[in-house]
Amino acid sequence: MEVFFPRTLAELWPLKAANPESAVMAGGTDLLVRLRKTGERPPAIIALERLAELRRMSIEGGGLRIGAAVTIGELAASEIVRDALPALWQAAAALGSPPVRHGATVGGNMCTASPAGDTLPPLYVYGAAVAVAGAAGCRRLPIGDFILGPGRTSLAPGEIVTDIIVPLPTGGAFSAYYKVGKRRAMAIAVASLAVCIVRTADGAAGKVRLAWGSVGPTVISLPAVEAFLAGKRLAPDVLRQAGAMAAAAVLPIDDVRASAGYRRSLAGNLLLKLAALGDDEQEDGR
Amino acid sequence: MAEHRVLGKSVLRQDAVDKVTGAALFVDDIQFGPTLLHAKILRSPHPHARIISIDTAEAAKVPGVKAIVTGRDCRHYIGLYLADRTVYASDKVRFVGEPVAGVAADSIEAANAAVKLIKVAYEPLPGVFDPVSGARGREGLVHETPAAGDLWWQGLSCIKTKSPGALLHENLGEYQCAPFIHPVPGTNISNHFKLRKGDIDRGFAAADVIVENVYTLPHIQHSQIEPHSAVAHVDRAGKVTLWASSQSPNAVRKLIATAFELPMNKIRVITPYVGGGFGGKAGVTCEALVVPLAMRLPGYHVKLTLTREEVFQATFVRQGLVARLKTGADKTGRLVAMEAELFWDGGAYTEYGVNITRSGGYCSSGPYEIPNIKTDSYCVYTNHPVGGPMRGFGMPEIHWGIEQQMDIIAEKLGLDPLAFRRMNALREGSLGAFGGPMEGATLADTIDAVAAKCGWGAPVPPASAPHKVRGRGMACMYKAPSMPPNAQSSAILKLNEDGTVHVLTTAMEIGQGSLTALAQIAAEELGVAVDKVVVTLPDTDYTPYEWQTVASRISYSAGNAVLAAARDAKAQLLAVAAQVLAIPAAELVIEDGQVFPPANPARRLAVSDIAMGYLLPEGAIGGPVIGRGSFIPAGITGLDKDTGQGDKPAAFWTYGTQVADIEVDTRTGEITVLKVTAAYEVGKVINPAMCKGQVQGGIVQGLGSALYEHLVLAEGKPLNSDFVDYKIPAATDTPEMDIILLETSPQADGPFGVKGIAEPTMVPTAPAIANAVYNAVGVRITDLPLSAEKVLAALKKKQARES
Repeated sequence: MEVFFPRTLAELWPLKAANPESAVMAGGTDLLVRLRKTGERPPAIIALERLAELRRMSIEGGGLRIGAAVTIGELAASEIVRDALPALWQAAAALGSPPVRHGATVGGNMCTASPAGDTLPPLYVYGAAVAVAGAAGCRRLPIGDFILGPGRTSLAPGEIVTDIIVPLPTGGAFSAYYKVGKRRAMAIAVASLAVCIVRTADGAAGKVRLAWGSVGPTVISLPAVEAFLAGKRLAPDVLRQAGAMAAAAVLPIDDVRASAGYRRSLAGNLLLKLAALGDDEQEDGR
Repeated sequence: MAEHRVLGKSVLRQDAVDKVTGAALFVDDIQFGPTLLHAKILRSPHPHARIISIDTAEAAKVPGVKAIVTGRDCRHYIGLYLADRTVYASDKVRFVGEPVAGVAADSIEAANAAVKLIKVAYEPLPGVFDPVSGARGREGLVHETPAAGDLWWQGLSCIKTKSPGALLHENLGEYQCAPFIHPVPGTNISNHFKLRKGDIDRGFAAADVIVENVYTLPHIQHSQIEPHSAVAHVDRAGKVTLWASSQSPNAVRKLIATAFELPMNKIRVITPYVGGGFGGKAGVTCEALVVPLAMRLPGYHVKLTLTREEVFQATFVRQGLVARLKTGADKTGRLVAMEAELFWDGGAYTEYGVNITRSGGYCSSGPYEIPNIKTDSYCVYTNHPVGGPMRGFGMPEIHWGIEQQMDIIAEKLGLDPLAFRRMNALREGSLGAFGGPMEGATLADTIDAVAAKCGWGAPVPPASAPHKVRGRGMACMYKAPSMPPNAQSSAILKLNEDGTVHVLTTAMEIGQGSLTALAQIAAEELGVAVDKVVVTLPDTDYTPYEWQTVASRISYSAGNAVLAAARDAKAQLLAVAAQVLAIPAAELVIEDGQVFPPANPARRLAVSDIAMGYLLPEGAIGGPVIGRGSFIPAGITGLDKDTGQGDKPAAFWTYGTQVADIEVDTRTGEITVLKVTAAYEVGKVINPAMCKGQVQGGIVQGLGSALYEHLVLAEGKPLNSDFVDYKIPAATDTPEMDIILLETSPQADGPFGVKGIAEPTMVPTAPAIANAVYNAVGVRITDLPLSAEKVLAALKKKQARES
């Protein structure tokens, strides 16, 4: 097996063309585990970690552009992410363990397209876009259109994700990421919830965005629950009603980590975390 | 008592620098050069099947393949207490992952390719997937008094066998076994331990409160950081050398000698550092698999390092257990009767597991005095991974139920659970479940120490959030080393020319610190500085016999052998010094490497001056000093086959108590263990830092078994044989720990009073947490682990009941 380390996108495209069956590696924390488990042996691996163009973070026109090969550890260490995108920052800190976060990347988490990918629910609620490039050119699409199903994306052969563009929420927005795993660290989410809420002057919820992880084939958005909460004060009984709606609407499965029933319960109960918002207090991420 | 110079001090571990710098060599690290071959094992995909045929012709053609072996090549039955297994499956496979064939090749890739080409024709057979059905199938269970309510097991989530009736071992009656193991031929019961103390009917008649519950535990795994590894080499003369990640070099040698009909002086077992044992590297595990391959390939080194998946599937797991416990107390709070039916899920082979079920049986009262007891402990064959020893050897399993029973009865009687336990605690001279008097029974001391330390009875502080609830629970324990009554240790202590010392034993350093503890015992007795003493790792050609490094017995048993060896060497040194100094030996002491009479310390000799003998004007005296020490515990007797009664089934008992402070998140069911307060009475602490380390490790391992650990088996197939989905605690799960070590009852025949501590540390943690959950939110969970999902479901059920 050959492993390539292109340093520029210009070097990358001919390599991709010459090795159409190759696997792209942006950290390897999912890919290498999969190769070991399945015994698959791609003829070549193209690693993106030395592509400087994919390793940058910058503010551009009201959004944060995050290179696909930026590591989760770099996200968790970023002050911009911490201050402007707290849900994404909390998700980065909750993903895997320090060694995993040193390797794992934002683009990798995106392309693995697991419903349990920790950075994905925050990127849904922030309305992130995914920049995709190939030898022929670039395109940009909303995250909901990029991820098609578990492990399935709209990436065409020859294409890679180059950046994730995350619009920065307006001032006063509250956002957070809540995760339940089998233990406190280095655990895949059994269920998770990202929230982004813009509050009105009188303290009610204005615009509400919610995205659940690990309770369906992809990250789940429930516009009906968002609409139900919009304009309301997030009192416990309101949240309990919203929780019941969410629990009924999500599409979880039974697996070795948890039953579908438990995941439904969590999908509803995680919303109760927002009760503390009424007092302008933020609960911890757990 | 004289003050100790080395004992009781937290001296630096002998292996510390090697391990923190990464210099320590483990089996897989050893380099063998161009003679190295790699082994891979073909494993059964079926939980139970007859092997019709094995065709290795295609596999043998793979370039690089050097040898293939199957069950045809090793038909001898081996086992520690019951010889019920062959090295490779011969006629049947009985669990998913059982070795069917082995390949040695010059690369892992070639070995893997060859394994895939071996064709095995199987005839699948119905399986046994829970111990209750397994014992009952084929009329296995002969009840003395079939009771009316005898269907208590129906509806338990762990009852999974669809068609009871499968028999796993048709030849059970022909297997050789230890005299204290009682198989029931023609059934799946490989050991039936019976205990009858007092009069059970009169006991329950005198009870004012009777509590009966069923407690269950799933299979869990040791999860050692180092996967099992073995390398075998056979020279032209047929001598077998094995490098093994083993806790039991001598047991490996003995079992391999039996399996391959070899004399013991033609088998050499070398064990470098071992990265964790916890029982999972006791007896023989993967070592035997490489031996027949190496025997076909003289001169080569054949290596097998298991993958993590193989460790989960095909090395020992902790046995599952279904325990029906019925406990009675009178209204004053005295325990009066207890009935226990223990169904152990022994797995496909129970060569080692049978003795766990015996220990669980004769300890089934827990650390309490109960006058009337009836216990039936059944080791049951199932088509599950092989059950074997794991830290606690039956004690975490039985205490899981016993300690919840204690809380439930105390609540029914309106008594404080701590006071209730204290009232019933085994004391000096109490009659144990086995009918004999208890010695050094110090449970009450540990209860008092924990109560004072944690402030038992003080109000529980508020929880960290409105939807969280705090709770506190306790559990006690006792444990004896579970071993044959004649489990031996021996040691050789050599002095070098410069007065430094080598201690040779086959006690195994598995992370517990045995090298350092034994060095401290030798240094203390000999009167030399501890940094002058090096304890070597085992090499059975050169280090003397040790039964096994298990049962929390090394500081006690090997410690006694080392102490005896040090005394022997000391006597030799003093005899020479007496002649040189012309002072009677009885008037001399050795301190810090100097021999002198305390009355006149100026007249002295260095140990280095006499370690090789001494040259007097009239000629040389003495000679190189070699101390010799042997130990065998005295006075351990058997138990009656029909009543389980006897005088002294074990060398000593260690007692301990833990209190867990927890918080339950009522929205998610997650349990956070905030703090564990623990007290153990250990007779004498050799090294406080290492001893506390043992307790900390045991608490964290106990916490893992309490909250997370469960090897999920579907029709015998493990679904989570990796660390993605089998979770052990991480650093962030570790609670605050407050640890008290007591020395109130030095063990009469322990070196300096030492008792064992390693295993007892994990025993009470799970039931203490379960009791704390009940204390916090009023739900009682009897099925391990206490997963967040189970807690939330129980909370919902309780809410529904109450509304």
